[in-house]
Parts: sequence; C-alpha cells; structure tokens
Amino acid sequence: MAEPRNLSRRAFLARIGVLGAALGGGGLLARGLLNPASGATNPLLPPAVDLVRPVLAALARDTLNGLTTFALPGPDQYSRTQRATSRTPGALEAGATDFMISALDNFVPFPDALAQPISAALVTGLADSGVSLPGLEVLPAELRSLDQAFTALLQSDEAIPLSFPIAGLLNLMATQVNPAAVNGLHLSPFARLTYAEKARAFELIEKTDSDLVALLDVHFPEPLKASVSGLLKFVGGALIEFATFGAYSEYGVLDRETKTLRKRPVGWTLTGYQPDGPVEGWDDFIGYYQGRQEVRD
Amino acid sequence: MRDVIVIGAGGGGPVVAKELAAKGLDVLLLEAGPRHAKPREEWSTFEEDANNPLTGYFRLGPTDRSKPAWYREWPQNSFVWQLSGVGGTTQHFYGNYPRAYPGVFKGYEGADRNEYDVEHRFPFSYSEMVPYFEWVEALMPVQTAAMGHKEQLFFKGAETMGLPVQTTKTTHKASYRPQENAILQPGGTAGKTTSSDLLVYPKATGCTFCGYCFQGCMRPKGAPRNQYAKRSTDNSYVPMALTAEVWSRGGKPAELIADAYVTRVHTENRHGVLTASGVTWRDNVTGEEHREDARVVVMSGGCTENPRLWFNSGLPNPNGWVGRGYTDHFFDWMIGSFDDYTGNPKGVGSSARLDYPPYGGLENVGLPPALNAFAGTLSDSGIRGQYKNGRGKTGPWDGPAGRVMGPELKELVAGGIDKLMTVLVITDDDVEAQNRVTPSALPADENGPIPKVTFNHRKRTKRTLRNREFMARKAAELLRGAGARKVYRIDWAPLILHVQSSMRMGSSERNSVLDATGETRAVKRLFVADNSALSNGLGGPNPTLTSQALATRTAENIFQTYFGGDPWVRSEAPVISTDPRISVRLGELGL
Repeated sequence: MAEPRNLSRRAFLARIGVLGAALGGGGLLARGLLNPASGATNPLLPPAVDLVRPVLAALARDTLNGLTTFALPGPDQYSRTQRATSRTPGALEAGATDFMISALDNFVPFPDALAQPISAALVTGLADSGVSLPGLEVLPAELRSLDQAFTALLQSDEAIPLSFPIAGLLNLMATQVNPAAVNGLHLSPFARLTYAEKARAFELIEKTDSDLVALLDVHFPEPLKASVSGLLKFVGGALIEFATFGAYSEYGVLDRETKTLRKRPVGWTLTGYQPDGPVEGWDDFIGYYQGRQEVRD
Repeated sequence: MRDVIVIGAGGGGPVVAKELAAKGLDVLLLEAGPRHAKPREEWSTFEEDANNPLTGYFRLGPTDRSKPAWYREWPQNSFVWQLSGVGGTTQHFYGNYPRAYPGVFKGYEGADRNEYDVEHRFPFSYSEMVPYFEWVEALMPVQTAAMGHKEQLFFKGAETMGLPVQTTKTTHKASYRPQENAILQPGGTAGKTTSSDLLVYPKATGCTFCGYCFQGCMRPKGAPRNQYAKRSTDNSYVPMALTAEVWSRGGKPAELIADAYVTRVHTENRHGVLTASGVTWRDNVTGEEHREDARVVVMSGGCTENPRLWFNSGLPNPNGWVGRGYTDHFFDWMIGSFDDYTGNPKGVGSSARLDYPPYGGLENVGLPPALNAFAGTLSDSGIRGQYKNGRGKTGPWDGPAGRVMGPELKELVAGGIDKLMTVLVITDDDVEAQNRVTPSALPADENGPIPKVTFNHRKRTKRTLRNREFMARKAAELLRGAGARKVYRIDWAPLILHVQSSMRMGSSERNSVLDATGETRAVKRLFVADNSALSNGLGGPNPTLTSQALATRTAENIFQTYFGGDPWVRSEAPVISTDPRISVRLGELGL
C-alpha cells in the first residue's frame, strides 16, 4: 500500500469513526491486540475480525446515542455534548437507542446484498473527500491490520448489522461538518457534534444533489446505482422520524409477551398522555354539531 | 375451479367477495398478511406494539412478527404506509366516508368544471355512482359523526371562515361539517364514562371514544366482531362474506385464507384473447406454493402491490399505464398549540372536516405521542431553526415550515398533548404519469421482485402545488380562528396514506388500465377492485367509500358479464353489516 493511499485510508477510517473507536484515545482495542503480523498468517479471517466486531457494535451504539438525543434531548452526557439538554427524561431514558439498534439490525428488511456493498463502500471508498483532518499524523500505525480485519469481515458471509453502515454514514457526515470531531469525548464523531452541527450533517444527507450520495454509488452497477442514491435520501428522513417515534413510544417499558407496561413510558410522562393508563373509553362525547344526527341529499 | 378468486382482503377485495358470495358464487379470498381473528388477544393499545412499521401488528409483513417486514423501495424521503392483514389499511383508518366530489366524474357541468383534473375523470357520471354510494352507506352503516372536544374546537375555527355547514351527503361547494363516517354512533354508556366496568357491550354500544382507531378497533368490549364501532372491513365486509349463507338467500360463504401471498396471475390464450385463468400463492409459514384456477380473478392488493403482481406475472402493458398515475393527496400537516384543553387524542381519530372543491380539504386528526412525534418530524423542509432543505415556506403560520423536533418538539408537547390540535391538509392532486410503481432493481424478497414507488413531489403539476398551498393557508386560518397560540407547518415529505389510481379506470385506452366496467383492458376475466382502480384522487375526499362503491359496481359487472346474473343495487336494499344473524354465525364459527 503506497503511503498516500495509506494516509487517505487512515483519514477515511477516522472519518467513519472506526479508527478512533478501535485505537484512538479511549479506544476499545488495546493497540497491542492488533498485531501487524496476525493479518498475514490467516488472510481469510484475521484474528482481528473477532476484535473488530464488538468495536463496530460499540461505535454504532455511541453514534445512535448521538442521534436519539438529537431527536429527544435529556439530562445525559450526549445531550450536554450537543449543548441541547433538558432536565426531564429524554431518549436515553426512553430506551430509544435500543429501539434503533433492534430495528436496524433485526427488523429492517434490508437485503444483505445491499448492506454488504454499502458497508464496503463506506470502508473502502470515499478516501479523498478534500477536507483535511487535524492530527492524522499521530494516528496509530496499526491501520493496515485494522483495515484487513474490516475487509475480511465485509467479504465474509456474515450479515452486516445495518446499524454499522448507518453509523458510518452519520460519522462521515459529522467529520464533513466538523473535521475536529474525529477526536474527543464519546466514541463517535457524530456524538461529538453540537446540535446545530448534527442538523448540518442531516442537511448534507438530505440534499438531493449530495456529492456524498454520488460518491457512495461508485461501487454499484446500474441500475442499482440510482437506487442507492434514492435510498440514502430516504434514510436521511427515516433516521430522524424513527428515532423520534422510538423516543416517544412505549418501546423501553413494553413487555411484548404480556402486552403490559413495566412502568410509565417517558413519552407519556412528557406529553401527559392517558394519566391513568390505557382505557376502554373516554367521557368526551359532547353531542352532535347543531344537533344533527343524520344528513341526506 | 373457483368461480372467483379475490387477491387481497383490504378495503376493496372483501366488498367483491361479500357481494358475490351473497349471490351464491364460490369465492376464494386470499390475504397476504395475518388473519387477526382474535383482536382482544393479538392487539393492544400501544403504538409500539401496533404501529411500529417494522415490528408492529399493523405492518406490511407476514403474521410471524419475529420475521422482518416486507421491504419496499422508496427512492425519496417519503413513507408509504402499507398494511398487510385482513382489513388492510382499514384496520388503522379513521372510518371517514365522504363521497368523491361530483367534479371528478364524467359529464360534470358545475361552474368550476374546468378546475379539476379534467384529463382523468371517471368514465361515468356522478349520478350513476350515487346508488352505489347509497348501498355502501346503508350497509356499513355510514352515520354523522358524534362530536368530542377536538371537533368542537375544529368547528369553532371553521365558523370564522365564512363557509356554510354541509348538511347533505354530496359536497356541492366549500363547506364544513362533522364527518360522515363508518363509526357506530355511541349508545348507552359509550362516550359518557371512563369506567371500564361500564364500557362493556351491551351496556355500551358503538364508539366509546377510546382514541385507539389507529391501533385497531375492538370496542365496545364483549361486542360481536361485526358490532365493533369502527367498520373496517375485518369488522364489516369480511364477516359478511364468511357468513353469506345466513343472511342472503342462496348465499354461499366465501373461503378466506390468510398468510397467502399471491405471486402470479395465470393467463391462457382463448380464441386469440388473453384470459385470466387462476393464481399461484405462497404460504408465508411453510413456503409452499399453491395454484388454483378460477373463472374470474380480481386484484385487490392495493396501489403498490397490484402493479407489482402485474409485472411479476408478465402481463402485457401496452400503453405503459400499469402503476402510473398514483395519487396520494399530497398531504401536509399543521399543528396548532393552544392554551386550553383540546380533547386531543380522545375519541375517533378524525370526526370533523372541511371540504374545499376544487382545491382539496382539511380534517382534524388526533394522534397519541409517538405518532404525533413521527408526524411532526416527517418533512421536506429540513429542521425549523436549523436548515430548510431548499424550501421552508413562510405564510400565515409561525416561522418557516419544517420539522418540529428535538428541544422544540419537547417544549411543544410539555404543555400536554391535549393542548394540541393537528390538521391534515388534503390536496386535490392530479394524476401524473411520473408518479408510479415500477419493478425495483433491488434484490427480490421471498415473493419475487419488489415494487418501487416513485413520487416526484417537488415537480408536481402547477394545479397540485397551488392546491396544496391554498389548503395549507386555509388550515392556518382555521387553527387561528379556533384560538391557536402558535401554528406550525411541517411541509410533509410524501406520507402516502390515501392511495389512489395506480391501475386507473378511464375512458381513454391511452391512459388507463381498466375499462369502465373495472375489467383490465389487456386481460379478460381479470378485474381490479380497490383504491388503485379509482380514476383519480377524487378531489381530496378520503377514498374508502368511493372505492367500495366502485367495487360494488364492479361486482355487479362480474356477475352480469360472466355468470349471467342480474344487477341488484338498484332493485334491492342491502343487509346491514351489524345484522345479528351475522353475529350469531360468527359466534358459531368461533370468530
């Protein structure tokens, strides 16, 4: 791997948050675990793959914490970081991040045939986005092993949890908005943004002529190429809507087996919805407008 | 060999099944999704349980909720709210049954005749449709909606707008009124108490004002299925179809199979004429395929699935209009914030409306917290105060249009969800070839290649865009008149809930899939009976009544053309769907 390519790969992995999460300050992997030699001993499945999987999961959760608190701020650290907080319970108390992860990884009927190449595009493409990142020179040298682990994971038959490419997308946009977000508190660049910067990241995703959308399509043959463009436009809106739905829903306290609530949902408390719980009916019948119970031609 | 196979037990298919079962035909009704035979065991009142589009019991997917939903391609920021299951989208609808405006039918001579979608009218007159409207209205039955506090507030706003009150079934001009809806009026204790002990059938009859229309109607508790307040087809037409022998002389009960996904319509060439001969369906549980033949096949899978089935069956599409001309009333959403109690979200989801031909209409909509949050954040105008996505219109609402989210949404609902009133802006939108269903290039699901639903919402016709702006302004006027302290316009991205006309009936061979009888032009003995058969967006009225009236007319045409029978709508009176004979038979069947 030539040095300029290596540097841009490093920049890209930093952008989607993987490098920082795995290796950066507070990173999840001790650097020694990624032994440069290990990748060469078993090119089909580097041992680092097993180490990378939980890194991706943690990164996705952190990124989605940044998203759900964007949808419904509360008294938590993510809300403080975005500088939009609230004293009343928010998305994290409502379990909205679990809602998103469960939905994305288990229930979005998103074909692996697409998740795989999108994830790959996020990891292997898009190296040169033209925004210079601070501190690249101090990023670790184990990049190549990490990269090989990713490549192996993406090329294996293992289904990619959809939360990973979604987190990658948000983090990529986050570093586009604020390059300094590659480092700092939290694992993910997106979670490090202010509220206004998160909004700016969504603005980039929603922009119909987004360069990113075009770039991401690079690795898809037509007619899939156009489909992926459209899909990302949809994803931009859907992430906001579903995160908000989840934050105000009963997800975190609903016992699916018994169809009962373990406690009062955050969304109900915030809105004053049915103070005494579910009902068979309300005493809200006033009468008929102008006393008319029937009309005919 | 069946007489008739109906594909889809949603808003339209059960109408044909019921009408033809009543005439003694052998009818098979196939539903791709769940049966939902025991609502009290299967449903709840929770939004997450019911309405989560991925995992809820009201989703587009198989019965087994541990399996993923069926994925559909939407290449834009939008949400197509499809539902599988017996009842289709009537399971979560609000039961509104306004008639289509007369101006969308052939031969309309009103002063505003040139102001409608004049290229895409129904191929017959409004007066020809009236007996079918009346038939469905009597059968459901359709009644004048009872009023709760949110309706009272809506009327307070409407009263400031200088419009008359409509006191007829037919809408002749701009006016407002309680909905005519397929919700049984409250009787006994219903609407008068919150005590669960008292809200039991038959102490309570009709609507108990529970506010759970969108989670499915199973009230009053203890009532027979066909006497639940909301007349979704699972509570009305389907019970009638399954019990036809007890309420119709010579009737033969239809057979219903759920979790049966039709993957192919079969045809054969009879004397040079392409003719439908049967269907193949796939069992969602076992994956087994079944094939059955029929004298007539009726497609009632909805505006998105009918074109998909057409394409996947390899049927001809000579004029290219299969899947085209999809209309959605290009909705918008306005939220009014009040100092006082509004009654939101109690009672029927929407019991008041304002009609404004030829622009569209308005209706109030009550939503619980998560759906309210979803509705406030689905926008094509970015996030208020942050970015506008190239839009963010200003007008008689407060600030630019856009998502009310994050801190702003939290603050808005902190006063209580019952201090809000929300208004659905309904646009009389044009049939346009560009808004359409095509086969997706994305990977197929277990039932074959999937549909792609494309709406070029920013490039709709001038008339459509004008109508939407006009009605959004009227909504703001209404909310201000009602006393709203603040009014928010969301500028919804396409939320495709009212779906029409993707397999449209028309007078011209150039731009329609169906002839004036409801039969497809390209394949004989193949009919379409649901919202997709509608010729246009009706001018804005909610489509179910018109769709069911048209399906009734199509059932008559099938019976006359292929079974040598006589029409009945003009000469008979319908049995009402709440008839106790149906209740008794349902009890015997364990339903």
